[in-house]
Amino acid sequence: MLVRVQNLVKRYGDVLALDHFNLEVGEGEILGLLGPNGSGKTTTINCILSLLKYDKGVIEVFGKPMAPDAYESKRNIGVVMQNVAVFQELRVDENIDYFCGMYVHDAKARRRLVDEAIDSVGLGEFRKFYPKKLSGGLLRRLNIACGIAHKPKLIFLDEPTVAVDPQSRNKILEGIRELNRLGATVVYTSHYMEEVEQLCTRIVIMDKGKTLATGTKDELKAMINDGETVTVELYALQPDHVANIRQLPHVARAEYADNRLAVHFDGGQHNLLTLLDYLTSRDLSFGRVFSEQPTLNDVFLEITGRQLRD
Amino acid sequence: MHIFGYRLKCLARDREMVFWTLIFPLILATMFHFAFDQLMGRQETFRPIRAAVVGSDAYRQNVAFRQALDALSGPGEGQLIELTVTDDREARRLLEEGAISGVITVDDPIGLTVSQSGIEQSILKSILDEYAHTYATITGILEEHPTDPAGLLREIGQVRTYTQQISFSSAEPNTTLNFFYALIAMTCLYGGFWGLRNTTDMQADLSPQGARRSVAPTHKFGVVLYDSAAALTINLAEVTVLLAYLMLVLRVKFGNQVWYVLLTCLAGCIAGVSFGAFIGTFARKSEGVKTAILSASSMTMSFLAGMMMVNMKDIIARKAPILSYINPAALITDAFYSLYIFEGHRRFFLNIALLLLISLAICILSFLRLRRDRYASL
Repeated sequence: MLVRVQNLVKRYGDVLALDHFNLEVGEGEILGLLGPNGSGKTTTINCILSLLKYDKGVIEVFGKPMAPDAYESKRNIGVVMQNVAVFQELRVDENIDYFCGMYVHDAKARRRLVDEAIDSVGLGEFRKFYPKKLSGGLLRRLNIACGIAHKPKLIFLDEPTVAVDPQSRNKILEGIRELNRLGATVVYTSHYMEEVEQLCTRIVIMDKGKTLATGTKDELKAMINDGETVTVELYALQPDHVANIRQLPHVARAEYADNRLAVHFDGGQHNLLTLLDYLTSRDLSFGRVFSEQPTLNDVFLEITGRQLRD
Repeated sequence: MHIFGYRLKCLARDREMVFWTLIFPLILATMFHFAFDQLMGRQETFRPIRAAVVGSDAYRQNVAFRQALDALSGPGEGQLIELTVTDDREARRLLEEGAISGVITVDDPIGLTVSQSGIEQSILKSILDEYAHTYATITGILEEHPTDPAGLLREIGQVRTYTQQISFSSAEPNTTLNFFYALIAMTCLYGGFWGLRNTTDMQADLSPQGARRSVAPTHKFGVVLYDSAAALTINLAEVTVLLAYLMLVLRVKFGNQVWYVLLTCLAGCIAGVSFGAFIGTFARKSEGVKTAILSASSMTMSFLAGMMMVNMKDIIARKAPILSYINPAALITDAFYSLYIFEGHRRFFLNIALLLLISLAICILSFLRLRRDRYASL
């Protein structure tokens, strides 16, 4: 295990931010830490990085207790903060060089690393720009480059795509995948379930400082009863048809309203085919058809009764 | 060197800060120069005072007084009075019109009529009082010792002084210099803004940059040292520019001890940067409030050192002398002044030593606080 957090407790006054929280991060994985705002994701990261005092618990990184003066461990860690942490007075290349220089002292090696970091985040044509001239998305890319330029073995990314345009977001996610391919272990926190589903090999869902569920995305989705949901546009569907549809295999529930039939399946395969077979066999004309797989939000909703994103 | 070099770039490119710590003092220095030039540049020339004496019989008969008035009104460099001898009516008319400052009437005692109070009227009165006093002295002595009247008159005409002026140095005392010294002291203390910026960029709970630097494998002491060195370099460069401007452009005199002047600037900058770091570390408020605290305290220290009121330095020395020893602005100003006025360096080195001691104390306190490695919240 690259990171081991045991029984972590952190209070902010009367507020219990982390409630005997446990976490393990294996080498080579991309661990997603998913939870709504205020669930304790950033607090967890800051405790692991020895930025925050905590009331109780054990934190180990690279098999050694983590402390503010654990410089050997810190040398192999890269951090992308939630808030953009660059200097406005330094250009793009200077910012990356400055922060990389805190890890890599060889000037020649550092020059190469800086160039690679700029290329990996797609800031090549902006290298002489000052941060105030960059858009939000480009600034986030710079923020990432500053955190990963020294090619760390363990990378923490704390909500790196907040307020970022789709193009930059894709670039960022692509970059993270590439880093992982090159051997880095990634801890990725977000409240965007789509990113976590897309990127992470293992996911920890947390809320109110506790772990709610952990596993791969398929394992998590398997925890809930809901499977696929098929929605079909249908006009004037009779109630007895709805009742028949409810009898089809693996149908958990079916609702018809506003000329839309929504059928929720609780497992099974080829559910869409089964439903369409029924409709065609009864000569029922239908319009558009939508099929949705369960999301992590469904998992969160089932466990807590609340939405992931508030 | 990597941290130092980039820190220097970062600070030097902070235009707003550079304006307040460099350009503003240059503007102030220029304003001081023009203000003092107006005050001190004018050359006062003395014009003989216009007066009239009533040409009465008493005047014509008072030979001694007539001779005295002739001596004072004779043309040349020593002319004190521009005298008109006329009748009483004409004299009063001239007085009413303002053509003369006073009318002398020879009587017992000699009278002076004026229409208003002023310097010229006061001088006329002094002349008449001096004549009356000297006349009474001479007549009194002659009545008791009538043996050598010529010798008496010769002696009484001589002016003797019983004090001797000894200067501490070859420099001439100049009270306006204190304003410029206090301005340099203020600029040194403006190094506090660089010190304050450093602490903000160093602490994880004050800036994201501080958080990123805190997770890097760099010892806090090293970061503090290099950042402070960069701030000191910037501040010292600014003070040097100001100094060069004062000496070469505005022709402010600092004596001929340039290296000691630079040493004073160095000690002042160290005090300034340290003070800013101290405020940044211990004032647990927003950055705006900290900046306000730093500005207010720098201006207060400069005021107490005499920047706005030249007598303040003297007032503090008499009423609260301890302040002179702990106020960095006062120590810097006094160091400059002692270089200018005194030949020896004892007082100068005392000021420098106190400055460095104060800086060391607040640096230690700041570092002990800064090295706190974890925060309760970010």
